[in-house]
Amino acid sequence: MEKQTVQITQSTSGDSRLRALIKTLSKQKMLMLMSLPFLLWVIIFKYIPLWGWTIAFQKFRLARDLFDQTWIGLENFRFLFSEPQFYLVLRNTLVMSGINLVLGFGTAIVLALLLNELRRMYFKRTVQTISYLPHFISWVVAANIVQTALAPEGIVNVMLMRMSLIEQPILWLGIGEYFWGILGVTEVWKNVGWNTIIYLAAITSIDPAQYEAAEMDGASRLQRMWHITLPGMKPVIVLLLIMNLGHILESGFEAQYLLGNGMNVEYSENLDIFVLKYGMQMNNFGLATAAGMFKTVVSFMFLIAANNLAKRMGESRLY
Amino acid sequence: MRKKQWLTSGLAVLTAATVLLAGCSNDSGGNTPQTGGTNGEVSTDPVTFTYFGFGNNKDVLASDTTIGKILQEQTGVDWQIEFVVGDASTKSGVMIAGGDYPDVISPVGELPKLLDAGAFIPLNDLIEEHGPNIKRVYGDYMDKITHEDGNIYILPYTANVNGYLSDPDAMSTFWIQRRVLKEFGYPEVKTLDQYFDLIEQYEAKYPTVDGRDTIGFLTFAGTAGEFFTITNQPMHLAGYPNDGNVLVDLDTHEANLYMGTDYEKQWLAALNKMNSKGLVDPETFTANKDQYLAKLTSGRVLGYVNYAWQIGDATNNLKAAGNDDLRYVSLPITFDENTTDAYIDPPSFVNNRGLGITVNAEDPVRIIKYWDNLLTDENQKLVMWGQEGETYSVNEEGRMVMSEEQLANRNDNEFKRQYGWMYFDYEWPRYGDNSVYEDGNAHRVFNQPEVAAVNYTEGDKVLLEAYGAETFSDFFADPIERPWYPAWSIEKEQGSPEQLFGQRSGDLQQKYYPRLVFAKEAEFETVWNEYIAEFNKLDSAGFEAFVTKRVKERVDGKW
Repeated sequence: MEKQTVQITQSTSGDSRLRALIKTLSKQKMLMLMSLPFLLWVIIFKYIPLWGWTIAFQKFRLARDLFDQTWIGLENFRFLFSEPQFYLVLRNTLVMSGINLVLGFGTAIVLALLLNELRRMYFKRTVQTISYLPHFISWVVAANIVQTALAPEGIVNVMLMRMSLIEQPILWLGIGEYFWGILGVTEVWKNVGWNTIIYLAAITSIDPAQYEAAEMDGASRLQRMWHITLPGMKPVIVLLLIMNLGHILESGFEAQYLLGNGMNVEYSENLDIFVLKYGMQMNNFGLATAAGMFKTVVSFMFLIAANNLAKRMGESRLY
Repeated sequence: MRKKQWLTSGLAVLTAATVLLAGCSNDSGGNTPQTGGTNGEVSTDPVTFTYFGFGNNKDVLASDTTIGKILQEQTGVDWQIEFVVGDASTKSGVMIAGGDYPDVISPVGELPKLLDAGAFIPLNDLIEEHGPNIKRVYGDYMDKITHEDGNIYILPYTANVNGYLSDPDAMSTFWIQRRVLKEFGYPEVKTLDQYFDLIEQYEAKYPTVDGRDTIGFLTFAGTAGEFFTITNQPMHLAGYPNDGNVLVDLDTHEANLYMGTDYEKQWLAALNKMNSKGLVDPETFTANKDQYLAKLTSGRVLGYVNYAWQIGDATNNLKAAGNDDLRYVSLPITFDENTTDAYIDPPSFVNNRGLGITVNAEDPVRIIKYWDNLLTDENQKLVMWGQEGETYSVNEEGRMVMSEEQLANRNDNEFKRQYGWMYFDYEWPRYGDNSVYEDGNAHRVFNQPEVAAVNYTEGDKVLLEAYGAETFSDFFADPIERPWYPAWSIEKEQGSPEQLFGQRSGDLQQKYYPRLVFAKEAEFETVWNEYIAEFNKLDSAGFEAFVTKRVKERVDGKW
């Protein structure tokens, strides 16, 4: 493809290059038209709001003109980076995000592989439905379920005691060190089914002829999964990984907010909750915006780095 | 063929565009009030205004309630009443950013933010012109309701008129199950040690209730919003009323934090000791509100600490269940015997809770007229007592009384919603709770001694008799006048150092309280020192200076 374009541009003058562009445009006008609304959407909802970044440099007060605001330079950033609490919540954010990323990917890929191997359709459907269901429960309800299950007299403690694994009920949510693990498991329970959808879609695009050929050559089931299904999913996996690395500072909000309490606050409070407490609730929108900018910059760096890495390794990539 | 292609792709583009635009379209249905009347002549044309409350309640159309309907007949005004769902500060932020205000707002904690944004209109001239009753009710409080800039923005809910009648059933924050008192022959319980000791003895005697373990002691500290329940107690135990996070000296009017003092240490050490005996519920810091209330109504809890207004539903349910042994009573607990308790609020005026008219209200005159009409003795009786002959009656001596059935209705949440008390008896311009009508009857139903007497169950009467008291207020000391009270209503400016101090100290307490309570007894001192070291990093002197200054201003009459 690339070679062809180069040849064309070399052999024609600038004027005809424009004409070629117009020709391509008119040829693809349907596609152009169809993408127009989405382009507009991106501009309106993603680019125009960037104007709001100016808030980070103000002592921002609501319902006032830009000219009535007090400009305070980098004061908001200075507060943010000199706040010891900020580094604690940054650590929590990164760790929880990392856990979610690893567990989320691992479990979804394994479940997708297993589902794909199922022969009985109705069983597959049932498993899928059951594993999707928690995704549609709101976090408020989900957190309540988790809190009830983990209470001293909740099902988890009762089961562990019946099996004589523990002697005293454990106050799961009261021990800070356990919080990350509980969150990881909760996230998996809630989202694993949903996350498999895209992998299952990727698997369906694998040419069945490959499986037939492998079977002829005497490949076992595991070997087929390893050598055909997984490589077939690889482009999608890499792409999702790149995109998710861009969200590394988004470790979620509702789960931590609802499951967090005084006893696990050192592990549960993440960047978003910090921003809510010291930014939104104190009407300090400047600080909230500064934190948002910080998140964007970090996300951007991660995105580009991951993409470059994928490029160098010759994998599929975002751009 | 070609044409058809155009058609299909055109349709596709259109569909995509509509889907996107549908999200942005402005819903402008129904909430624009019609302006009624001409040239100051206020009509009674039907009109619906919007009311937004930052408290917890269910949305309603005023005319769907009995009280709302009667008031509508008088004025032609109906209200679409809505309440905040979810986080109040987020909601107020969205409201301000969009300039999307209802006609009137009861801002509760969001007042400073809304004032800062210029959401409210000054009411001075409106009151002057259209509010003879408002002037009568709020006249004595004008200096307190006038904002620093000379304008009146909200009408508070605590303007007492015609004298002062105190609540016959005041309550403290320390509650004990009645069977515990019964078991030990209704002993005198005054100090924290006695209180905890009684719980310990009972628990030793009866470790289970109906096959389930009894819970010795519990408090409401599992959610961030209710954490003050546990942090406020050193103040009450030291014999001070609820001034927020400070103790104000009666003579010098100096405000001092009790965080990090011996008072706080004494409270936490006592909890720590209780915990080492296995008497503090391990879920104290993790249970959410539902779990907490479920425990309180289960009958397993021997003692708990919180303000009565935090758990109204649970206490009502326990009362309705009818087993007096499993109900609770609050006691005048202090650190030592010689301290006078201050659980009964001194006469006070809360000037930062009230109802205001927003800049979006198209017809403020009619709203003010409605409020003015609300502030007659007759309508105040309506919103508190209801209609004569239906929800209350007047006896031969001209005293307002309620039968047991009427009183049961007055206490029933569902009936209160349907009748409208739930919506009209508090967050409107009104007489303060301690007011008295011209005819000598109490404004607040339960302040009327005749009603309070009917309200007592058999168990209540036994309890009162055992302690030689006529009302539950007799348990407590009479309040002392504190002209600045309550100091918690002193507004801290948005983004000020005081506000930041509040947030930081709160975070610190939330982090250390569980550790201090659950620490091994021997380690308590170490954790406490760690806590104090962290606390010393905060600017407490600056905060105390700020509150002291404002308290002194209030004492000098400058609110």
